[in-house]
Amino acid sequence: MSDFKLTEWIFTTDHKRVGILYLIGSLAAFGVAGCAAVYIRLNQLSPSGGLFSDPQNYNIALYFHGAAMILAFLIPGLTGFFANYLVPLMIGARDVAFPRINAFSVWLFFAAIVLALISLMVSDGPDVMWTGYPPYSVTTVGNTAFYVFTVHLLGFSSILGAVNFLVTILYMRAKGMGFNQMNIFVWTVLGAFVLQLIFIPVLASAVTMLLFDKYLGTHFFDPTGGGDVLLYQNLFWFYSHPAVYVILLPAMGVLFEVISTMAKNRVFNYKACVYGGVFGLILLSGEVWVHHLYVAGMPNWLRTGQMVTTLLISVPVGLMVISLWGTLYRAAITYNVAMHYACACLFLLLVGGLTGIPLAMTVLDLHLGETAFIHAHFHFVMALFATFSIFSGIYFWFPKMTGRVADSKPALIGFWLNFVGVTMTFTPLFIIGMQGMPRRYATYEQFPQFEPYHQMATLGAMVVVVGMLLTFYSWINGAIRGPKAAENHWRSKSLEWTHAPSPPGPGNFPGQDPEVAKEWTPYDYAR
Amino acid sequence: MPSLRRLMAVAVPMAMAAAPAMANGGTPHSQWDHLWGHVLLDLVVIGVVFGLGALWMMFRYRAKSPDDVGTGPKLTKAQAIGWALLPAAIFMADDFFLAAKGWSLFTVYRSAPADAMEIKVTGYQWYWEFDYGNGVVTQELKVPVGKPVVLRMTSPDVIHSFGLAEYRVKEDLMPGRVSWLWFVADKPGKTVATCTMYCGLAHSKMYSDVVAVPASEFHAWMESKVRQARATTDSSRG
Amino acid sequence: MRSLVLASLLVVLATAEAWAEYGRVPFSEVDTGLFRVEEAKFLGVKPDPATPLRDETGAPTTLGAYGGGKPVILVLSYYNCDGTCSVVNADLAAQLAQVEQWRLGADYSVLTVSFNAEEGPETLAKFRKTLDLPKGAPEGWRFALAGNSTDARRLADSVGFKYFWSAQDRAFLHPGLYVFLSPQGRVVRFLYSTNTEPRDVELALTDALGDQIRPAQILNFALSLCYSYSFKDGRYKLNLPMFFGFASLGVGVILFIISVAVYRRRIHRPNGRPKGEDLPCQACAD
Repeated sequence: MSDFKLTEWIFTTDHKRVGILYLIGSLAAFGVAGCAAVYIRLNQLSPSGGLFSDPQNYNIALYFHGAAMILAFLIPGLTGFFANYLVPLMIGARDVAFPRINAFSVWLFFAAIVLALISLMVSDGPDVMWTGYPPYSVTTVGNTAFYVFTVHLLGFSSILGAVNFLVTILYMRAKGMGFNQMNIFVWTVLGAFVLQLIFIPVLASAVTMLLFDKYLGTHFFDPTGGGDVLLYQNLFWFYSHPAVYVILLPAMGVLFEVISTMAKNRVFNYKACVYGGVFGLILLSGEVWVHHLYVAGMPNWLRTGQMVTTLLISVPVGLMVISLWGTLYRAAITYNVAMHYACACLFLLLVGGLTGIPLAMTVLDLHLGETAFIHAHFHFVMALFATFSIFSGIYFWFPKMTGRVADSKPALIGFWLNFVGVTMTFTPLFIIGMQGMPRRYATYEQFPQFEPYHQMATLGAMVVVVGMLLTFYSWINGAIRGPKAAENHWRSKSLEWTHAPSPPGPGNFPGQDPEVAKEWTPYDYAR
Repeated sequence: MPSLRRLMAVAVPMAMAAAPAMANGGTPHSQWDHLWGHVLLDLVVIGVVFGLGALWMMFRYRAKSPDDVGTGPKLTKAQAIGWALLPAAIFMADDFFLAAKGWSLFTVYRSAPADAMEIKVTGYQWYWEFDYGNGVVTQELKVPVGKPVVLRMTSPDVIHSFGLAEYRVKEDLMPGRVSWLWFVADKPGKTVATCTMYCGLAHSKMYSDVVAVPASEFHAWMESKVRQARATTDSSRG
Repeated sequence: MRSLVLASLLVVLATAEAWAEYGRVPFSEVDTGLFRVEEAKFLGVKPDPATPLRDETGAPTTLGAYGGGKPVILVLSYYNCDGTCSVVNADLAAQLAQVEQWRLGADYSVLTVSFNAEEGPETLAKFRKTLDLPKGAPEGWRFALAGNSTDARRLADSVGFKYFWSAQDRAFLHPGLYVFLSPQGRVVRFLYSTNTEPRDVELALTDALGDQIRPAQILNFALSLCYSYSFKDGRYKLNLPMFFGFASLGVGVILFIISVAVYRRRIHRPNGRPKGEDLPCQACAD
C-alpha cells in the first residue's frame, strides 16, 4: 500500500484497475440503493406508512433503488467489474483491445453515479420509477432530466464497453484457444455485450424523446398531438427485457466458474450450455418484451404470441440450469464462502425462475401483474440471484485481486444472515402478491390484513443489513489483514489462475504470451 | 378444492342466469383459481425435483480429500445432443401445455358475454369515477350479483391500472385509448378496486369500494340514483 | 384592401357574438368547433344495435342488421340536403376508391343513415343516384332511413353526432363525420370529411378491425404502426418514435457488425492484431 498513487488509478488504462474502479463504484451504488431499500421497508411497517410517511420521498427512494440497483450496480458490477477484470486474463490477453476507450467508459460510469447521487439531493428529484413511463414522467414536477441523463451516460459507457469486449474476445484469445475452449463466463459476457450493443440505442432514443416531450414540448408520446403513450413502454422493454439477460448471463457465468472450480469437475454438456443456452437467450430475448405489457391493453393476439415466446425462454435457461446442476454430479466439492453463495444461488434461481412461469402466462398475469408477486419474482431471479452471484465471485477472485483471502467467520455469518434475511423479506411478498397487494405502494390502508407480512419482510431486511455490514467488513478486513493466498488458491485450471500471479502485474502474464494445447479446457480436473 | 367450495357457495340460480361463457367451469375468476392451482402444482413438482437434486448432490459429492477431483462424465457427441434435445423437448412440452391452458382461459377473459352490463370507468389522479350511462355517476362501483359487467376504461391524465384482485382482473387505462375488462360477481360482498400502475403522489390512495348486491337490491338502488340524477339536472336547469 | 377584409371579418365576428347572445342559431361557418365530437367520451361506445331503421325500400330493420361481423363506416346524413351531405358521401366514395388494403363489401361496409325521419325511399333513391359510388358498392354501401325522429336523435347522441334544424338556413346544420364501428359495433375512430385522406380511412379501418386481424393481413397491421391518430388534428400522423426506435436499433446492429467484421479485416493486415502493437507499452505505463 506504500506505493499507492491516486493519479495512477484515475488515469489507469489497465483492465484490472479499470475493473476494480467499476467494482468500487458499483458497490457504492449498491450501498446507497440498499439504504433506499431499507427506507422503503421501514415505510411499509404499518398500513399508514410506518416510520416515515412522506409519499414523495418514498417515490424518490423507489426510483433510486430501482434505477441504481439495475443500472449502476448489477449491470456495471457484472459487465464492468467481472468482465474487465477476468475476460483478458481468462482468454490469455495482455489487455483489452482498446485500453483508453475502456478507461473512458469507467469515467462515464462514475459521472453517471455522481449524477444519480445529485438527483437525490435536488428538490423535486425524479420520481418516475426506473421505467419512466409517460405521460407521468412528462407531467410530473419531478426532475425527469436526471433520469434521462443518467441513462445516457450509462448507455454510452456500456456501448463503448461492448465494442471493446466483442473485439477482445473475438480476436485476442491466446494462441490455440478455440471458441469451444473458452470459459463459460467469457461466453456469457460475449452474449451480454451483444445484447447491450444492439438494444441500448433503442432505450437511449426512447428516453431522449421523453426528454424532448417534457422540456421542449414535442408530442412523441402525447396522444392529443399524434403520439402514442404505449410506444414508450414498447421501446423501453424492447431494451430492458434483454437487459435482464445482460444481468442473468454473466451472473450464470460467474456461477459456472465458481462451481466447476470448487466442485473440481468439468461443466456438464458445455456445448448445450453455450450453443443452446447462451445463443438461445440472445435469439429469444428480443421477442418477449410484450410480457411486460400484458395488462397494458395490447392486442390479444400479440399477448398470446408473446406468451408462447416467453414460455419458450424456459428452454435455453433450462439447458443452462441442467449444465449447472450436472456440474455437481459426481463432483468433489469443497465448501468455502464463495461456494456457499453459489449454492444459495441455485435455490434463488429455482424460486425466481419457476415463479416466472405463471407470470409468462398472459391470463395469470392479468391478476398477478403489478403486484407484490412480480416484485418478489424479479427480486429472486434478478436482484438476489445476481447479487449473490456477484458476492460469490468477489470471494472467489478475492485472492486473485488482492493476494489475500477474504474467507473468515464474519464472512460466513454474513452469508447466512443474507440468505435467511432475503428469504424472509421476499417470501411474504409472494403470499400477499397472490392476494392482490399492488407494487409501489407508499401506504396500504385498504389492505390492513397484509400488515404482518410487511412487518416480516421489514424484519428480514434488517437481518440483511447486519449480514451486509459483516460482508463489507470481511472484504475490507481481508484486503488489509487477510491471510496470504497461494498463487493458485483454489487450484483452478482456468488461465487466470494457472498462468498469472496473484495479483497479476502489468501485462498480466510474465514472460511469453500464454498458449494452450489443443485438448486444453479450463475445466479438465479429471486428468 | 377451494375452487370447488367456491362454486358450491355460489347461489346456483344466479350462476345459471349468467352468461354462456360461464356455463362450463364457473366464473372466470374461479377458472383462474383452478388454472393457478394446476400451474402451482407444476412448479412445485419441478422445484422439488431440482431442489432436492441439488441438495442431495451438494451433500453426497463432498470432496473426501483435498486432492479429490470430480469424475463428471465426458459426454459423447450423441449423449451431448441427447442431453440437449431431451430436456428441451420436455421443457417445450410443458411450455406448450401451459400456453394452451392459458390461452383457452385468456379467450374467456377477452370475450365479454353479449348480455353484459356496461359501465364506463375513468381514472383520474387520484380517484375512480364510474358512469353507468344513464346519468348516474358514482365513486363507488356497485354491481348486481350474477350479471356480467364490462368496464370500458380510459384516463384523461396519466396511465392508471384498474386492479380488482377479488375477481382476478386488471387492465391499464391510458389517455387516447379505451381498454376494457369484464367480470362477474358470484356472491354479494364488498371488495376493493385499486390502482396498480404507479401514477404519482397518491397512487396508493387511489382505491374505491366495489360492492356486489343481489339484482333486486341493485335495481332499487339504480332507480333511486336515476331519480336523484334527474332531480339535480332539473334543478340546475332551473 | 387588407383593412377592408379585416373590417368585414370583425363585423362577422361581432354579429355572430350578438346572435349567440340572443340564443339565435350561429353560422355553421363560424362555429365548426361546435360540431367536434368529444372523442374521449364517445370512443368505445356501442350504439344500440336494436335502434330501429328503415331500409332502402322503407321496410323496418335495425342498426344491428348491418355490418355482419365486419367494420362499418357510419355516415349520418339526410337525403334532402342540397349541400354538404352529398359532398360528404361523394368525398368518402372518392377516398374509398383509393383504399387498396381493404375492399369495400368484402372487408368492411359503409352505412349512410338519414337522421331526418320525414324522408322516404324516393328521396333516398334520388340522393343515391347523384352519388358516384365506387366498385362493390351495391352490397358494400347501404343506405337507410331513420325509424322515427326520437330514434334518430338517440342514435346521433350515442355516437356524439350533433345536428339541429336551422330555421334561418332552412336546412339541418351538422358535421361531415365518419364514424368507424368495430365488427362488434363499437365506435373506434372518428374522421372528419374536411381533412380526411384515403390513408386515414385505411388506417381507421385497420384500427376498427382491431383484434380480428387475420394472419394474412398482418402486413397491413404492421404498416398501420407507422402512423398514430392525433386527437388534436382529427387525423393520422406519422408515428415518429417508431421510426426513431427502428433507426436506433439499426445503429445498434451496425455497431455490432462494425465490431465483429471491421476488426476482422484489420486483424488480417500484415501487422497482426488491432492496436496490438501498443499493448505491451500500455501495460508497462502502469
